[in-house]
Amino acid sequence: MAIALGIDLGTTNSCAAVATPTGVEFVLGQHAERVHPSVVAFPSSGGVVVGQDAKRYRLTEPQHVIHSAKRFIGQNIRAPLVQLALTGIRYKVVEGPNQQPIVVVRDRRMTMPEISSHVLLHLKRCAERQLGSAVADAVVTVPANFTDAQRTATKEAGRLAGLNVMRLINEPTAAALAYGFGRNQDQLVCVFDFGGGTFDVSILRIKGEVFEVLASDGDFFLGGDDIDRALAEVLAAECNRVLRFDPRQHPVLMMKLMMGAEAIKCHLSDNDAAEGEIDGIDLPNGQTGSLPFSLTRAQFEELINGYVNRTIEVTKQVLAQARLSPRDISDVLCVGGSTRIPAVRNRLADVFRKQPNIGINPDEVVAQGAAIQAGSLSGSIIQGTGMGARDAVLTEAHSPLLHGGARAQGPLARPVLLDVNPSTLSIQTAGGYAEHLLDKNSPIPIERTKVFTTARDNQTRVEIDCCRGESRRYAENEPLGTLLLENLEPKRRGDLKIEVCFKVDADGILHVSAADPDSGSRQEASLQVIGAPTEQGAM
Amino acid sequence: MSSTRAEVLLWAQRVMSRKGSPAHTILELNPSSTLDDAQQAFYKIARIAHPDLHRNHMTPEELELVTSAYSTAAGAYQEFRSSTQRMKPATTENLAAVGAAPAAPPRRAAGPTTPPPSGIPAGTVDQQMNPRALLYYRKAEIALRRGDFKGAILQIKMAIATDPASAFLRTALAEVETELRKGS
Repeated sequence: MAIALGIDLGTTNSCAAVATPTGVEFVLGQHAERVHPSVVAFPSSGGVVVGQDAKRYRLTEPQHVIHSAKRFIGQNIRAPLVQLALTGIRYKVVEGPNQQPIVVVRDRRMTMPEISSHVLLHLKRCAERQLGSAVADAVVTVPANFTDAQRTATKEAGRLAGLNVMRLINEPTAAALAYGFGRNQDQLVCVFDFGGGTFDVSILRIKGEVFEVLASDGDFFLGGDDIDRALAEVLAAECNRVLRFDPRQHPVLMMKLMMGAEAIKCHLSDNDAAEGEIDGIDLPNGQTGSLPFSLTRAQFEELINGYVNRTIEVTKQVLAQARLSPRDISDVLCVGGSTRIPAVRNRLADVFRKQPNIGINPDEVVAQGAAIQAGSLSGSIIQGTGMGARDAVLTEAHSPLLHGGARAQGPLARPVLLDVNPSTLSIQTAGGYAEHLLDKNSPIPIERTKVFTTARDNQTRVEIDCCRGESRRYAENEPLGTLLLENLEPKRRGDLKIEVCFKVDADGILHVSAADPDSGSRQEASLQVIGAPTEQGAM
Repeated sequence: MSSTRAEVLLWAQRVMSRKGSPAHTILELNPSSTLDDAQQAFYKIARIAHPDLHRNHMTPEELELVTSAYSTAAGAYQEFRSSTQRMKPATTENLAAVGAAPAAPPRRAAGPTTPPPSGIPAGTVDQQMNPRALLYYRKAEIALRRGDFKGAILQIKMAIATDPASAFLRTALAEVETELRKGS
């Protein structure tokens, strides 16, 4: 039988796993690593290098090494936060069709889905080599606050890699699935997912096999990368002071400082101070200098305090959205590498008045959950809806946290994920208002139709402007695109009926259609979302 | 197994035939049901009819039917949630964060609100708006044509009193009020 892979496609690192009858097996790279850097290099020597090996080119030819593609996938290049993120990278990105970002390496133009497809293809090949059979299907995880365009683009990346993406699931939900599958308990958990590039918080109710997301929110531009950058800026200022040389104009040197910053950050998670020097700094006078540094954990914590505050603020907001108090939460799951920072864990412990759960591997749990969902959807781990007792014994191993005391009771059913729509979806109405069709945190898949009417007499066409965001005013939300309905029968204002249907499928992708039910000619129009991949590709 | 499948398909057909009905009808509840009832009903639907549970033993057409019915039921559940206040009181801890929650809809438009150049659909009307409100609204239109803004505002306010939920009327009121301020 073809294998269905669970893939955690991360900003800095990716991880893939497959559910087997005996447990979850991780896909290993050439150096037997479970975690694969989401880095794609196009070295001068030719070819495409992905993963651990691609990282080596960062110092020699940083302009040919594409990292953090997830920050730009499905984004509108003109968005201010995207422009800000672009200042932190060393490769070239230009504007393409439909305002999507395009990577330029030498004379090659590539879309962000193309870049991500190299990472997915790499994982697919590693899995096929390891498991000895073809991989056709996959479940890919995305941040809970990913927009429609970002999800569409991620699916496109899967398609380009030759994978049938059965489902996109949200990263915190996948983590909760890996944690709760087979536990057969009724509890409220908070998943705190602070990764390399994105930050998400979800509150879930796990009741038997049903995983219901009660509320979810996050910050798409907040992650370990930002912490590294902040620290690298400190090192750069230090370099300027000590060596009288500003490295900010030198991509290779800044990359070196970024790598140094990452190492210092990781060191400070286990130690109270970091001291040493960064060698091999090429000075303008032809000599090579070295930059000494000395940083205590307290200094580091002060530096990142703003970022940590932001995560705690969002966590409190999500609790409020779920109408719960911190005491109601029985377990706090730490997901993503940045949760290894002690300051983050301490602040979480303060909020919830209990220690967060550190029994899970923050880098692997999301891929584990994706693998369980992939196995469930493909029917390979659990046949049918009512699973036999024999299967239950076999699948117990899928839950990474199942200990002797927490054995599943009775046969397990297939997990049911009730995920949510991350932000309110609306259309513009007369007067510049946003009329909400689908609320934030409503369960998906979901479909809702509302009847609207014309604003002026004898109107023969309407433009339906769609947006996402919580404001009641259209202009304060993020525009998604416009749907055009034409050849309407001229009628008095208010007499013509227009049915607008918003559908969000199980992948979290929006489908908008509009129809004029009275004219009989049911016109359907669908939405082209700004920033989403287009048919023309990168040209 | 086969009986479950047949039951799910029957349920899906029932839901699809009730499309456009009030939320409680779609969720097969009575009109006085609470949010808790709706949540329980939706959980039950999810456990039995979630399309993921059936993707390996239904034809694509059957799966599409079940997906549509499930999505419609989710929409009905959302309607329940947004129209009902949850009973649980907010604690002081989460009150601090409530500042970020969406604010109440503005009654009055800020800034210019002349109708945009292209035709955009106005708010919900007709199907749910009751005939009396529509009558007042037509009177408001007549007043507007005479240039009698104050009269129009009065009629729209009367319409809102009969149909307080109508976003269409709220928008219309804001528009006319702005016109009046511009005129005076």
